[in-house]
Amino acid sequence: MKYFQTNESILFGLLVLLCIFLSFYNPQFYSIQNIHSILRSSSTVMIVAFGMTILLTSGEVDLSVGALMSFVTVIVMDVINITGSISLGLIAVFGFCLFIGLINGLVRTVLNVNSLIATLAMMLILQGSVYVYSMAAIYNTHLIPLFSFIGQGFFLNIPMPVVIMLFILPFFVVLLNYTRYGRYFSSIGSNPDAAKLSGINNNRYKVIGFVITSLLVGVSGVILASLMDTGQQGSAKGFELIVIAAVLLGGTSFMGGKGTIIGTILGILILKIIDNGIILMRIPQEFQLIVPGFILILAVYFDGVRKKNSG
Amino acid sequence: MVNINFKELNIESVSKSFPGVQALDNVSMKISAGKVHALMGENGAGKSTLIKILAGAYSKDTGNILFDQNKLNIRNPNDSLNYGIKVVYQEISLISEFSVAENIFLDNFPTNSLGVMNWNKLYKDTEELFNRVGFNLNPKSKISDLSISQQQMVEIARAVFKNASVVIMDEPTSSLTPNEIEKLFTVIKNLKQNNIAILYVTHKIDEIFKIADEVTVLRDGQHISNKLISETNEELIIKDMVGRTVNATFERPKDILSAKTVMKVEKISSKNKIKNVSFDLHEGEILGFFGLMGAGRTELAKAVFGYDKITEGQIEVNNNIYKSFNTSTMVNNGIGYITEDRKGEGIVKDMNLRENMSLPSLKIFEDLFIINRKREKKAADEYIKKFSVKTPSSERLITLLSGGNQQKVLVSRWLIRELKIIILDEPTRGVDIGAKTEVLSLINDLAKQGLSVLLMTSEMNDLLSLSDRILVMADGKISKEFYRGKVTQEEIFKASVN
Repeated sequence: MKYFQTNESILFGLLVLLCIFLSFYNPQFYSIQNIHSILRSSSTVMIVAFGMTILLTSGEVDLSVGALMSFVTVIVMDVINITGSISLGLIAVFGFCLFIGLINGLVRTVLNVNSLIATLAMMLILQGSVYVYSMAAIYNTHLIPLFSFIGQGFFLNIPMPVVIMLFILPFFVVLLNYTRYGRYFSSIGSNPDAAKLSGINNNRYKVIGFVITSLLVGVSGVILASLMDTGQQGSAKGFELIVIAAVLLGGTSFMGGKGTIIGTILGILILKIIDNGIILMRIPQEFQLIVPGFILILAVYFDGVRKKNSG
Repeated sequence: MVNINFKELNIESVSKSFPGVQALDNVSMKISAGKVHALMGENGAGKSTLIKILAGAYSKDTGNILFDQNKLNIRNPNDSLNYGIKVVYQEISLISEFSVAENIFLDNFPTNSLGVMNWNKLYKDTEELFNRVGFNLNPKSKISDLSISQQQMVEIARAVFKNASVVIMDEPTSSLTPNEIEKLFTVIKNLKQNNIAILYVTHKIDEIFKIADEVTVLRDGQHISNKLISETNEELIIKDMVGRTVNATFERPKDILSAKTVMKVEKISSKNKIKNVSFDLHEGEILGFFGLMGAGRTELAKAVFGYDKITEGQIEVNNNIYKSFNTSTMVNNGIGYITEDRKGEGIVKDMNLRENMSLPSLKIFEDLFIINRKREKKAADEYIKKFSVKTPSSERLITLLSGGNQQKVLVSRWLIRELKIIILDEPTRGVDIGAKTEVLSLINDLAKQGLSVLLMTSEMNDLLSLSDRILVMADGKISKEFYRGKVTQEEIFKASVN
């Protein structure tokens, strides 16, 4: 446990340094609008990253989250446009996400296809089939205020996406740290044979991991659709990479076995604030991809170094 | 280059010890060029240690290895290869997507001056080599298209293609059909004609009468006998191999077989070797399964526990009949499993001692959905004390504990829950002699408290000192059943080699 704490305190320290630096550089950084914007865009990443943390902990990965999220924005907008009912829109979204999560899980466990490949294939399938569903972007024609509130509204002056994220967060902190399911996920990722010989049904928990992740993509997708007021085919392209990068930066191992939700949150905040800083400092936008790339390599490298020293 | 014209490889009083074990004790033998020398012995007799010393994987403590009168200086595997000592291991280690010729010349491709592969020369050299040793194989065939025996020929060809002086074969026939074995023997005869000394390690007695010129038997690291093949017979060899003294025999209840049946295994088969196995297990009984390497002990244990799927048959436990089940089913029925592969299948390296111990039993530590860490820690502390596990606390990372202490944690893993049956796969493997008796007496105590034990072992000592009944396995099947006190080591061994 000590190790996790030190790892997280390093990330936290880095985060504080970043904030102090940016505040001095450009006071706009701590304006309420800017903070809201950072938190709002962090929330959609965090919600999906909770699921991805569980998956990586159990030694799996889901590359289809970005493609699924784009698909979700299209479905939710379209169904609500047609039916005029938010509930039906949500049912359609979560039904669809449940289905995709199950397929991912079953392809991984029953057909025994490596999840990197299985979900890469799912990503391609979803990216293609969203155009079969609709060639054009779907605009908000239902104009239901409650729908716009999901992404754009505030509750006690906190952006709604943040509220939703904070509502989901404790569930995952508890799940991973304080329940037997958390132990199952790490043991499956750390030593699948030992887990199986301890009477754990590895495949069942892997399927559950994929389903949870897909359902969380549903939540984020609905928020994104509300934020953009549109259902758009490529709206979350590349989203999976940000999520995975943040989870790894947070200290979860790509080889499985250990995962931390708090680390994941810190990882996302760091990436998002760097993102924000690059804009504030008027550095060319290309660096929004370049800088996190370098940070990720360094983070995983130092993690490996530290593990060697402690083991 | 070393001169490899020699009459015999002399092994002179070689000793090697590991912590707690004298693996080789003053062993001497002579392997003549152009002869096949069989090396026999039970598991743990010291065969592997000797092979590894010759191959340069281990260094010997004392003694000499010589070609005639010239001392060899083997410090690492490379030295050994330079002396022409080549080992053909049991497992095939070829690149399956490459051709036969590419595999043979893997570390030594013929190239032109620009470093480009000379394919013609590669195939021609391979063909020449095959003619020399009498193989009949197309150098261009892909390894994955070959049968196991053909792959083994490639392994041998790779071993001998340059300056082989001594070829060591470790259980070369364990995965071959009788027809393929004949082919292998032809190859060995060709090697003999090339004046290569062959050390043939096996536990199949019938084979050595077909192929070997002389036979050396080791037991418990000591040289027991060395005879020309014409001067010995099967009975004599078995007698030399077994005849081990059983260290400790435990008092076992006499009426155990009339206790109620707790598990009924009926005609199960699996894709992993097991064919049509049936047995009953009684309450408090220790049922020993003996078998040599590859007989299917571990595979049977894993099939019964639900790790490997069974393809036929059924298992009855707690009045439930299961035809299709997984490990979770069996654990819920009060069955536990302790693996022989502690590192690979036992410990979860990212977890601490407490978490490793409670892994199968987390349900009993739950308050609603949350694990009660206090109760969990208390249970862990109790077993740390009970087995005197050497650790500063239950929160220590499992990988920081010594092997023996890790093993204690894995045993506790099952004892903290309600357990009816435990499956033990080689419980004393890798345990030093002092601790062995301790482990055996623990098993005996548990059985006396009513726990039923499936004891999979290749150690005669464990088997004879504990088992109420003994089932001998060979080739995935049960070949014979014996009862406590009414069996000799020879009888068990004989049943296991058939």
